[in-house]
Amino acid sequence: MTTLTRQDLNFGQVVADILCEFLEVAIHLILYVREVYPSGIFQKRKKYNVPVQMSCHPELNQYIQDTLHCVKPLIEKNDAEKVVVVIMDKEHHPVERFVFEISQPPLLSISSDTLLSHVEQLLRAFILKISVCDAVLNNNPPGCSFTVLVHTRDSATRNMEKVQVIKDFPWIVADEQEVHMQEPRLIPLKTMTSDIVKMQLYVEERAQKT
Amino acid sequence: MDELYLDNIDEYVNDHDKIVTYKWLSLTLGVHVNTAKQMLFHYLDHKRKESSGQLHATYLVSGKMVDNGQTSHKVSVVREEQLEDFKAKMSLIVSVHVYSVQKALLKDSSPLYSVDYDAVRDNLKNCSRYSAIRCASAVPLSSVELQQTRQTPQAPTPEPAVKKSSMNGDLPLTSKPPAKQQKGIMGMFANKTASKNQDSSREVKSKQKEEADAPVVDVPKSKPAVKASPMTNFFGTQKAKKPDKSVKEEETAAAAAAAAQSSSTAPQQRPSSPPEEKQEAAAGQSTKNTKKDSRSKTKRIEDSDSEEEKMEKKKRRRIKKPEPDSSDEDVIPDSPQQMEIKESLPQPKKEIEPVSHSHPSLPVMKTRKRRRVLKSRTFLDDEGCIVTEKGYESESYSEAEEDVPVKQAPKNPFPAKLTASNKEDEKKGQKKTASANKGTKQASIMGFFQKK
Repeated sequence: MTTLTRQDLNFGQVVADILCEFLEVAIHLILYVREVYPSGIFQKRKKYNVPVQMSCHPELNQYIQDTLHCVKPLIEKNDAEKVVVVIMDKEHHPVERFVFEISQPPLLSISSDTLLSHVEQLLRAFILKISVCDAVLNNNPPGCSFTVLVHTRDSATRNMEKVQVIKDFPWIVADEQEVHMQEPRLIPLKTMTSDIVKMQLYVEERAQKT
Repeated sequence: MDELYLDNIDEYVNDHDKIVTYKWLSLTLGVHVNTAKQMLFHYLDHKRKESSGQLHATYLVSGKMVDNGQTSHKVSVVREEQLEDFKAKMSLIVSVHVYSVQKALLKDSSPLYSVDYDAVRDNLKNCSRYSAIRCASAVPLSSVELQQTRQTPQAPTPEPAVKKSSMNGDLPLTSKPPAKQQKGIMGMFANKTASKNQDSSREVKSKQKEEADAPVVDVPKSKPAVKASPMTNFFGTQKAKKPDKSVKEEETAAAAAAAAQSSSTAPQQRPSSPPEEKQEAAAGQSTKNTKKDSRSKTKRIEDSDSEEEKMEKKKRRRIKKPEPDSSDEDVIPDSPQQMEIKESLPQPKKEIEPVSHSHPSLPVMKTRKRRRVLKSRTFLDDEGCIVTEKGYESESYSEAEEDVPVKQAPKNPFPAKLTASNKEDEKKGQKKTASANKGTKQASIMGFFQKK
């Protein structure tokens, strides 16, 4: 039973680690469920004691890991407001956006011994929800690609442009074309509230996909 | 009332977009699994007739299938579309029932497991409350039996009746102590092993009280005596430790030898004491013995033995120093070394100190390492030497730790993950281990003294 504050950087790192691990699994799962890549490259692995599909393609894995590695410092400082996985069609117009809204309470406190197992349970529910999201979504057109956008608070991105966290992996300000989606429909998927983080997942879908 | 469940299921499936499995439904609504299966079936039927919305279902099919001439019983979860095909392939169908109902078309079976995971976890104690599978003799162990099974981790698994009672387990176990005794330090005990085992079995069975006198000789030894008081508490809570006897027998003599601080006196003391009493002292570790603690000091020595059994490794190491001539040195040191090495294995990065300490023990297997040391550092990366260092480190471990190179190799492509401080630590660690390696390889005698 300890009470830690945000100033306790270790704790911020712990939360960021948990979230980044979860985001990695979630991105892989989104790619699998929405059929962005053929299902042959995915294999079953275990996370949070349930089976999940992760890709085996090394470059894809590297890309996702580098992306999250750069996002992690933003989450640590609570600068990241939203992490968005955008699925785009051949013309690079967004077709679907999976938005993870993350907010961390300013005074974090671990007040229970079962906190982490509770968080694990909540994240498991997220994973389950992503698996069945194709019930509420229309099918995507073939030949889609994906990208990850991060919406930050204030001007945290200026730091990111100045300092390259990973070499040859620059982050640039997103084009209006990639951010703006025509006629979006909002479909909420899951919300979770815990002592260390509040997260919401919803999907914005373009009304006409093809 | 009868229609209420249809609305319930409807709410779960359509409004909450849940996957409703029969197990989850039975736990949520508190009904028998067969009832849940029927509910799902009726719901599906109902909805199909209404033909509103799109529902998918999975079925569980169980039956006999002939595969390449071999008949086997197969249980599968199949999608509705594949149901008829699957049923046609089976030679005899034992049961078919609805497994789950959901709106989404599932691409694989992982969500089905996830759905039940939390429901079962919440009801762990009585998850079979609504189950149709019953076995009258399958009851949970009582707390006494549970403790017995926990305290017998070394019991050989082929013995089927071990858990039932300590008595049954004794006879097969006595075959083990003789083997251990002869190898160990207890050369002095070697001639007493046969009678000792019988005594030990008799001891535990009849739960003799007169075990205590022999360890009188151990009383003057400071170490066991010091541990006496905490050990009485420790021992008082335990019920039976029958398979630990054999190890403790060794430990008795080991502790005696170490505490005596003179190897010569200890063996002399041994033969002086009545052999039977000694055997009983060493052998008897049952709870009834512990209750006689208050009666005799000697019992405390046995208690300390039980603790020593836990610090087996350290005890043995201590013995080696004063008795370099004893025969057990060849046999026993291997296991502590290997345990040390394996402990350092999972944390090659974090605990660099233990690694450098355990390296001196590796010369025992030094021949295996020779070939691999000379690997050139070719993985120069922008980020630094991590990749190269790893290449060297993995080879520096002995062949017994082959899984370490395997684990570290896949990490090579991701050098960027590590922070600068980690790299520095590892570089230092590498140099430490490298120097330790070179030092110990050339002088094998160094390893002997550093095996703590």
